[in-house]
Amino acid sequence: MKELILDSWWVAYRELIKFFRQRTRLLMIVAQPLIWLGLMGNMMRGMTNSPMAAKALGVNNYLDFMTPGIILMTVLFGGIFGGLSIIWDRRIGYLEKLLASPIKRGAIPLGKSISSMIQGAMQVAIIIVIASLFGVCFHTGIPGMLLIMVIAMLFCLILSGFSLVLSSIIKTHETLMAIVNFFTMPLMFTSNALFPMSVMPAWLAAIAKVNPVSLAVTAIRELTIHGWVWGKILPSLGIILILDIIFILISQFAFQRETVE
Amino acid sequence: MEKAIEVRNLTKIYKGGSVAVNDVSFCVSKGEIFGFLGPNGAGKSTTIKVLIGLLRPTRGRLFLNGVNIVKHPEQIKHNTGYAAQETAIDDRLTCLENIYLQGHFYHLPRKEIKKRSEDVLKMFDLFDKRNNLSNTFSGGMLKRLDIAEALIHRPKILFLDEPTLGLDVQTRQAIWEYIRNLRYQNEMTIFLTTHYMEEADALCDRIAIIDQGRIKTIDTPENLKQQIGGDIITVSFSEISNGKVQKTLEKVKQISQVKEISLDKNKIYRIVVNQRGDKIIPEIFSISQKNETNINSIRLQRPSLEDVYLHFTGRTIQEEEENRENLIKTRIMKRRLRR
Ligand SMILES: Nc1ncnc2c1ncn2[C@@H]1O[C@H](COP(=O)(O)OP(=O)(O)O)[C@@H](O)[C@H]1O
Ligand SMILES: [Mg+2]
Repeated sequence: MKELILDSWWVAYRELIKFFRQRTRLLMIVAQPLIWLGLMGNMMRGMTNSPMAAKALGVNNYLDFMTPGIILMTVLFGGIFGGLSIIWDRRIGYLEKLLASPIKRGAIPLGKSISSMIQGAMQVAIIIVIASLFGVCFHTGIPGMLLIMVIAMLFCLILSGFSLVLSSIIKTHETLMAIVNFFTMPLMFTSNALFPMSVMPAWLAAIAKVNPVSLAVTAIRELTIHGWVWGKILPSLGIILILDIIFILISQFAFQRETVE
Repeated sequence: MEKAIEVRNLTKIYKGGSVAVNDVSFCVSKGEIFGFLGPNGAGKSTTIKVLIGLLRPTRGRLFLNGVNIVKHPEQIKHNTGYAAQETAIDDRLTCLENIYLQGHFYHLPRKEIKKRSEDVLKMFDLFDKRNNLSNTFSGGMLKRLDIAEALIHRPKILFLDEPTLGLDVQTRQAIWEYIRNLRYQNEMTIFLTTHYMEEADALCDRIAIIDQGRIKTIDTPENLKQQIGGDIITVSFSEISNGKVQKTLEKVKQISQVKEISLDKNKIYRIVVNQRGDKIIPEIFSISQKNETNINSIRLQRPSLEDVYLHFTGRTIQEEEENRENLIKTRIMKRRLRR
């Protein structure tokens, strides 16, 4: 077990070195929430002036509503691309090198997940800082922020598991990108990340209710806007954890299957 | 001699049904450099991958240092090193980062990794470049780094799959030198594959010629050349067609290894021997001295490994070269796509 964790760490470490080396990517990570919050927040400010809309959103400041959505969007994309690097590793022969070494086989997908979780957490931290600068008030303070990061990481884990499964089955980058896009956009738009469920048509609200993105958004939004509403946070967290376990197991299974011949 | 590698009746059939390796058996002694020589698609890489546990054998028994690797794959991984046919370097990491990670993947302590990386990078003349991103490296440097990585855990058996594929002649020779030193300094057993004649000839103690998944023959390079025909010694004498020359030739004919003597149109005698010609030449000299004949010039021609290869695979190397060119082209394409 200790070996599995250590091995996973070194697999993750490799991804992290490369992550921190990509200056432009790091810049984008900071720039993106700046633009989203700055631009969207300004554009939508008028909206919360209308009491109707403010009631639907449940906030006086649209940014309060939107920040959890942005957090989720970020980890959603981060997570789903995290597993894809395994395809590249397969292509350049690095995967073979890892498999020839004595590291635990399961450490390879696990390491990829760990690295996307860490990257996700950092991105979330940056978003929280920038949002605070834009005047978003996190009601639960620093402990709440930490819990938000944990939820985001756990959500990231689901998606990296999903993308690991995909990349074990599909071996070409292009096909995989198409499939990933096919899933991510609808996942985002059929959730309550950008719009409250109360303004959705009934069918969409029904989908949104079971969309895991909504679960995570709800938990984070409660922590941001209202405080420690455990009645809403715990069920979300529970389901996310169950999905984590399911996806870890499936991704492990898929990876083992694909690398044994 | 203790056996480092023992392969008994190995067969590997891929999922699609293609038989890559077909009932192959061989042994490699400890400290030996053993080569698989064969054309593309012969099953060289497949054999290596089965031996290091990347692929499961369809049939057959495999032992590395006496350990059954099908039953105990985890026992042997710390003792084997592997440099794949395609260099697998993460080119967005530096030279040191690549090799450090490899050290961690082999569970070495941090201090040890640091020390050994230094040693091994110095040995492969990469130490000055250790902090450079490896996407600035040439093909030869990448290959060197790849082999260096395979050595970080001091494996007892090293597997090199076409270690000089696509490299220029000088780089190739430099890598041969590194490989020779490895065996020399560390008493490592080295199993390598190649389809370069010169490489097999220059490096290997013994060669197995493999084609279409089957081993055609196994022997030392010397004996292989011998197998398909003996050396030819060509001699010309100062005196032409006098009794002394005839007498000398009679005596030479009595040497047991001499198969036949013929005279070609340029008054040069071709002496075909069925053993190593270099050992016969001194005898020819002493005979001619006794009979007071003067040798003008003497030359030894050996059958090359190329002849051997042709004999066993029915293909010339030119055909292989074309295949190789294509391979390298696709490799370059791959790297380009990446940027
Ligand atoms: N993953 C694979 N799936 C199916 N067939 C394969 C695979 N890898 C290699 N082969 C086939 O097995 C044969 C031997 O390949 P290989 O061991 O790579 O030869 P070599 O290394 O001598 O060029 C070839 O005919 C090749 O097409
Ligand atoms: Mg090969």
